[in-house]
Amino acid sequence: MKIKGRVWKYGDDVNTDVIFAGKYTYTVKERSEMAKHALEDLDPDFAKNAAPGDIIVAGKNWGCGSSREQAAICLKKRGVGAIIARGFARIHYRNCLNEGLPIIVSSEIQALVEKGDEIEIDFGTGEITAGGKKIKFPPYPEFVLGLVNDGGLIPHVKKSLNRGAPPRKGTGPLDHLRRLR
Amino acid sequence: MGKTMVMKIMERAAHKEVHAGERVWCDIDRSTARDFGGANCALQFDEITENRGRVWNPDKIAFTFDLQAPSHSEKVANNQKIIREFAKRQGITRVYDINHGIGQHVMLEDGIVKPGDVILGTDSHMNLLGAVAAFATGVGNTDIAASWLNGTNWFRVPETMKIEINGEFPRGVSMRDLLTKIVGDLGAGGLDFLAAEFCGDAIERSTLAERITLCSMVTEMSGKIGLILPNGPVLEWLADRAGGEVRERVAAIKPDDDAPYISVLKYDVSKLEPMASCPDAPDNVKPVREIAGVKIDQVHIGSCTNGRYEDIAAAYDVLERGGFRTAPGVRVIITPATTEVMKRCAREGMIEKFLDAGIVFTNPTCSLCTAEHYGALPGGDVGCSTTNRNFIGKVGKGSHTYLLSPMTAMATAVRGVITDPREIVCK
Repeated sequence: MKIKGRVWKYGDDVNTDVIFAGKYTYTVKERSEMAKHALEDLDPDFAKNAAPGDIIVAGKNWGCGSSREQAAICLKKRGVGAIIARGFARIHYRNCLNEGLPIIVSSEIQALVEKGDEIEIDFGTGEITAGGKKIKFPPYPEFVLGLVNDGGLIPHVKKSLNRGAPPRKGTGPLDHLRRLR
Repeated sequence: MGKTMVMKIMERAAHKEVHAGERVWCDIDRSTARDFGGANCALQFDEITENRGRVWNPDKIAFTFDLQAPSHSEKVANNQKIIREFAKRQGITRVYDINHGIGQHVMLEDGIVKPGDVILGTDSHMNLLGAVAAFATGVGNTDIAASWLNGTNWFRVPETMKIEINGEFPRGVSMRDLLTKIVGDLGAGGLDFLAAEFCGDAIERSTLAERITLCSMVTEMSGKIGLILPNGPVLEWLADRAGGEVRERVAAIKPDDDAPYISVLKYDVSKLEPMASCPDAPDNVKPVREIAGVKIDQVHIGSCTNGRYEDIAAAYDVLERGGFRTAPGVRVIITPATTEVMKRCAREGMIEKFLDAGIVFTNPTCSLCTAEHYGALPGGDVGCSTTNRNFIGKVGKGSHTYLLSPMTAMATAVRGVITDPREIVCK
């Protein structure tokens, strides 16, 4: 899997309130509508001008604060190809993977790129190409690749049910789900 | 090499040996959702199962109405209705409706949380249930809906930091002050992806309320879970509520003596002083004496972090010593965590005294955790609160909030300016 896009660069500790404002959590339900408010309070330019496949490069603790999932959904739906940060807040990290939005932890890329630079990520080899330089990152474990390739947690779980994965201890009848695509 | 507490909990749930850093599928003991988020979980579950899906086990699911209970608007009311109808349709009987209080606290009191349980919820402070050594974590709607399909979800096995806390708190200083100190020392990312085990003699003597305070703020350091092994009166209380099985659970998840810790921190609380998180971040920490005198418009005591009986009683003590009067012009709101807490406050005559002092005493709810609830601050106002977050605009655009202990918050209510509670309780 390869992703190519322009860089949107942000700092440390960007919290989920500025990625998707709390005031919209009741009023904006449609996933595609959420995309229109992505990063509104931090960078109003982003929702207007981001192109599909663009890549967010951020500092440490990206996505801290409230567990709201809309923060991952709005970025995915706005077409973000990947997020590279020095570090991710835990809940947001899993929300991104559960949406099938690839994320990479790297401390080197921040110094090499500016807003608007074009970079390429190769998930197979674990390489980011930026301005002629190559930065290594640990290739995705099979587990994470599975989540991202299946398009997120729900399709991933449904796929495993469809494959006839044995019900886990304490699970109820699953036949109704196995028939679903 | 031995195992940490979180490794033992995950091994029970994953039915296999686990190693720090790997991702494992765990069986879920409880998958819960609150009024905020719960409707989306229900709608998402219906959507992905084309309205024909049955949840994996209705007895292991619970809904809690806490963030906006009772509903303050039609949109909230409609969301709550979606949850009630979904629960009825799915045979989910544990619906803690608007008359109960904050979900984690209510479930603890109702005896459905055991040490070693793996619990999901839509609240980022679910992990306060680590106060009884449950592995509880806040997740998004998708995680909840997926877990309802087959009772499982994935987790990264975290490394653990051990935090040893010894000594006796001086008068006027509480667990909240220690916690604020730790958040200041470690910072917003200080426990990133980590579990914390709290131990030491101060922890062994601590009440359940203090343990909840400590574990609830692990989130504000980006931690996954803070765990305390139940002992003494806390274990007795838990066994009384959740059944004798909890004793075996505690024995089964006790960390090994040679468990691997990435680091060990030590604190001595006997030298601690009242601390504050200043605007606009929980880790912007200063001693209260350095910010004393700042004028405050509103004081709020409550929340999942400091809304238990012991917290309200500590505030009551300060109010009593302050002559049962709050400063003119300061709005003061107290919100108990649960109905059980509220009943005890009523029984002991505290509520009437609060009301006489000009304080608003509300029903049990999360209340001022967001600007979406009553008590929201207007632009330009400065508040102080015992909640756990003070990000900019969190409880009202253009307002700023200091996070304080219940004692410091009430001392501030009495004087109208930020006040070191030792000035009142150490007289």
